[in-house]
This record gives sequence, C-alpha cells and structure tokens, in this order.
Amino acid sequence: MDDDRFLERLRVEARQLRYEADDVMLTRLTAGVRARIAAQPSVESFLARWFRPLVASLVALAFAATVGVQWYEHAQQQSTTLEAAMSADPIEISVDGNTYTLSH
Amino acid sequence: MNFAATMSWGRAFELVPHEATTSHPSDDPIERRAIEAVKNGDAGSYEYLVSKYMKRVVSIAWGIVRNAADAEDLAQEAFVRAFQTIDRFKSGEPFGPWVFRIVTNLSLDVMKHRTRFRHEEIGEDEPAARRDRADLPAMSGELARRIDDAIQSLPEMQRIVARLYLVEQFEHSEIAAMTGLSAGTVRSHLSLARGKLREKLADLYG
Repeated sequence: MDDDRFLERLRVEARQLRYEADDVMLTRLTAGVRARIAAQPSVESFLARWFRPLVASLVALAFAATVGVQWYEHAQQQSTTLEAAMSADPIEISVDGNTYTLSH
Repeated sequence: MNFAATMSWGRAFELVPHEATTSHPSDDPIERRAIEAVKNGDAGSYEYLVSKYMKRVVSIAWGIVRNAADAEDLAQEAFVRAFQTIDRFKSGEPFGPWVFRIVTNLSLDVMKHRTRFRHEEIGEDEPAARRDRADLPAMSGELARRIDDAIQSLPEMQRIVARLYLVEQFEHSEIAAMTGLSAGTVRSHLSLARGKLREKLADLYG
C-alpha cells in the first residue's frame, strides 16, 4: 500500500474519532452563547459607559472652577475694602511722645 | 423581508442540517440571510449559525485540547467572538471556516498556556491520554483506539494538523487558513505525521 492510499484509508477510519456533542450539550452551549450575546452592551450603553465618567469629571471641574472664581473675587473684594478703610481712617500710633500716622 | 420575524431561535435549531460542513454559503441561502440580519443588528438570527456549526466547533476544539469542559468553553467563546466581530466578516464568504479559524486559534492559545504550566495540568498518577479518552463518547473498538493513540503520540503541531485532516476531514488549504500555517508547512507536518502513523499502525495497514 502506498503512502497516499494509507493516508486515505486512515482518513476514512479516523472519521469516527470525531467528538460528538450530544443534544443536551448542544442545547446548553447554544443557550450559553445566546445569554452572552444578550449581555453584550448596546451602542448606546457602550457610549454611556464612556461618557458618564467624562461628564462627571467635567462637572467636577466646572464646580471647582466656579468655587475658585468665587473665592478669588471674594478675596479681592475683602482686600479692596481693607485698603479703602485704611485710606479713610489713618491709624495714629504714639511712641515716646512721637505720633506716627499709618495710612495707605 | 424581515428575517428576524421569520426565524426564532428555537425554529432555527430545527432548520439546521445534522452536520455542518465547510460548504459555500451559496449552498445555504438561510445562512447568507442570517449573516446579513446579524450584521443589521438582529442578534436572534445568530442562533441559526450557532446551531449549524456548534457540533463541528466543539469537535475541533476537543481534538486540540482533549478536554470536554475546555472544548465547551472554547466553542462558546469562539461564537461570542465571531458575533462581536461580525462587522469584519466579508459577506458572501462561508461562515464555517471563519468560526473554525477562531476556535482553532483559541484552542492553540490554550495549548500554549498548558505547555507553560504543564506540571500543574497533568497529575502524576493519571496518564493524560487515559483522561482524554474518557471524554470521547464515540470511541469504540480496537481500531479506533489504536488510531487515536497513534495520532496522540505525534508531536503537537503534527498531531493537530493530522487530526484536522484525518478526523475533521479538512483539506490542506482549509487547515492552513485555520492554523495560520502556510500550505507547505501543513503538507510537511502531514507528511511527517503520515510516516510516523504508518510505522505505529504497520500491523493494521501493512
């Protein structure tokens, strides 16, 4: 018997070595694939999953910026008020009979 | 025609032939329509493809990993991955070879992983070949056992190529596409395997 004929004969007989999944296994596997596909995220949920953290970060950033601006403006206002008060009412300090005036 | 409305998962199961082959989809207009429907977002139509090819996909995976539980996991994973990348699937091409290639690659990855951790996979008191055979319900008779033993004794890639050719009945070009080897390498593996198999089965085939 030549090599090619041997291989072809072997091929005919080896076919019975195929793994034959039974109907129960096939049903279980089909159901498993169905469940996993159903659990796949839709385009909307996929986008939402990416956008939600992004939006949350932007909101947090905007909030921090607003608080920062408010605080800065408040500090500026306080500084201006102090300066104005100092200009309007100079402070006089007496040391050893000498009077010093403290003003802006 | 709304394909999704005409075919439920359950009905699709009844429509499929008992054994799927690598036939061109032009032989199966339902398959062609199912692929288009899935591409258009109808996941339900995928059941036809799963039902048609699952048996073969499990057998391919089992032939490589020789473990029923792993073969089941790999078959499921192959179909899920095929679904996830269906947009990349070229319409008009047969679906079978595509999912066969996916499951083959997944199975080869498992084998690579096993090779790395071989000492953890195989118990010392239980030979691997004996455990493998416990999963093979179709195995019957002395001839089948001898052929199986002979194929299992081959080096890994020769064994995989020989099994795909002899047991799964794929052609050289199909095996090359599935494994990522060149057609020449497939022929070379098969030629080496043939010599060794002939030697081991000399008393049966003369």
